[in-house]
Amino acid sequence: MLLEAQGIVKLFGGFRAVDGADLSLNRGEIVGLIGPNGAGKSTFFNCLAGDLRPNAGRIVFDGHDLTLATPEAHARRGLARTWQVPVVFAEMAVRDNVMVGAFLRHPQARAARRKADEVLEFTGLAAQADAPAGSLGTLGRKRLEIARALATEPSLLLLDEALAGLNATETQVAIDLVRGIHARGVTLIIVEHVMSVILSLAQRAVVFNQGHVIAAGAPQAVIEDEAVIEAYLGKRFRRPVP
Amino acid sequence: MKKRHLLFVVLGILVLAWPLVLHGVFIQHVAALLVLAAISASAWNIVGGYGGQVSIGHAMFFGAGAYGALAAYTDFGWPPVAGVPLGIIAALLIAVLVGLPTFRLQGHYFSMATIAAVELLRILLSNVSVLGASVGLMGPARPRGLADLSFRSPVPYYYLFLAVLALLLVVTAWMERSRLGFYLRAIRGGERGARSLGVPVVRTKLIALMISAGFTALAGGLYALMVGFIDPESGFGLLISVKMVIIAALGGAGTLWGPLVGAAILIPLEESTNALFGGSGTGATYVVYGAIIVLISRFLPGGIAELVQLLSVKARRRAA
Ligand SMILES: Nc1ncnc2c1ncn2[C@@H]1O[C@H](COP(=O)(O)OP(=O)(O)OP(=O)(O)O)[C@@H](O)[C@H]1O
Ligand SMILES: [Mg+2]
Repeated sequence: MLLEAQGIVKLFGGFRAVDGADLSLNRGEIVGLIGPNGAGKSTFFNCLAGDLRPNAGRIVFDGHDLTLATPEAHARRGLARTWQVPVVFAEMAVRDNVMVGAFLRHPQARAARRKADEVLEFTGLAAQADAPAGSLGTLGRKRLEIARALATEPSLLLLDEALAGLNATETQVAIDLVRGIHARGVTLIIVEHVMSVILSLAQRAVVFNQGHVIAAGAPQAVIEDEAVIEAYLGKRFRRPVP
Repeated sequence: MKKRHLLFVVLGILVLAWPLVLHGVFIQHVAALLVLAAISASAWNIVGGYGGQVSIGHAMFFGAGAYGALAAYTDFGWPPVAGVPLGIIAALLIAVLVGLPTFRLQGHYFSMATIAAVELLRILLSNVSVLGASVGLMGPARPRGLADLSFRSPVPYYYLFLAVLALLLVVTAWMERSRLGFYLRAIRGGERGARSLGVPVVRTKLIALMISAGFTALAGGLYALMVGFIDPESGFGLLISVKMVIIAALGGAGTLWGPLVGAAILIPLEESTNALFGGSGTGATYVVYGAIIVLISRFLPGGIAELVQLLSVKARRRAA
């Protein structure tokens, strides 16, 4: 078991954004986290990554209790994440952004730079290495966030809508990138609204609604689940009536 | 690239050799003050520029250094220079005491907290009689020996200050390329992102503040050596802190050369307005500082460094 989150609760005032969410994850999985807008997916991610302290529940990652640990402690333990709205260092060059991540495991600048260049190559950002991150569009920034996170050499990567807003070709490129990351031995949780992405990437889908898990299982089976259709998908993904 | 190296060599020779040719005491005095201001502003730049933690209270370190030097003389009869390390140690302690509680504050709140801290220290100090209370401290009236480092001419001070500035530039250049420099720039770019990549934000800020405080205190000690007098206003006054910020911002905060360029512009300007209108810390100084703050924030938030970059990009485009 790589990650085990049990009974996570996060309150904003009196509002229960995450309300008793459970998730456990084996090494080497790709899990798709889906659910309607406002279901609490990003808030749950923030709890898993240490950006928010859960009001209740327990998070064990790689044998360590990280329930109340800081984000930097999560990074050191090997849990990396991207944001739904990218937070790149706009004034720094693309390569320097990635080097910040690489310094976590490579304190010497030369080694960090080598690591960063390797990750930039892998993520297809090598051509923009010297441009300021602020000059990238949203797609580039999302990609840069993935690169930065990878440079920390994580064992688990949380991607929050990293593939949102891409056209068909770009989506295919991004899917290949995620497969490549997985092939390097990284376990992934991906939040996506685009069902085709979940279907082609995830081995398991977990459905969130109103702050907790309402269904989980093989992606194909989950999207045919009546409760999921009710809460999220609407009629569009209903099985054609024979 | 070759041309640039040549430029640096010529500039270096000019900086080192001009006092052999020009003998005016006013210009020598201004030059020494200029280098001193470049030291303070470069020291501020480490945490304020690279790290984006805009302290408006760096006079607390400058004052600590200056008081260390002159208290060592007044209270123990030491040569002032022997008190400089004491001042630096005091500055490091202040850095830890002020840094740890205020680093959790963001943006303007941090700046305001540093102002509050330095004002508190200034008022406390004005009541400590072994530190001269509100009257201040004096250095040796005439040198008792070479160890007092008391010279008539500003030129020896000029060279001493240059050596310290060179050391600080080397430290800053090293920092720029090292993990510390990257982490500081990441913190300036956004703490949330930085922390998610494993940047220990508080520790990084604290290390930067301590390096910054140490060199600012050294600048304060050197100032006391040259001027031979310090009081709460000239050590811990708001103007002292504001000047470091303005100089760095004018030249380009978060760049290696920015504070030097800023000092090279502001100090001659300030000293000549002072000479024209009489006395420092008068209305004219505030007018000059105010005008510069307005001009930078309105037209050039990146300082002159940004202007140079814009121009060179344009020139390259035209060449291409
Ligand atoms: N910092 C906050 N303070 C108060 N309420 C918040 C905060 N962050 C999120 N919320 C609320 O919590 C709920 C869950 O938000 P969250 O962003 O986790 O949803 P989500 O599942 O990621 O949605 P989306 O698919 O739109 O990204 C929403 O109703 C949101 O308005
Ligand atoms: Mg979200």
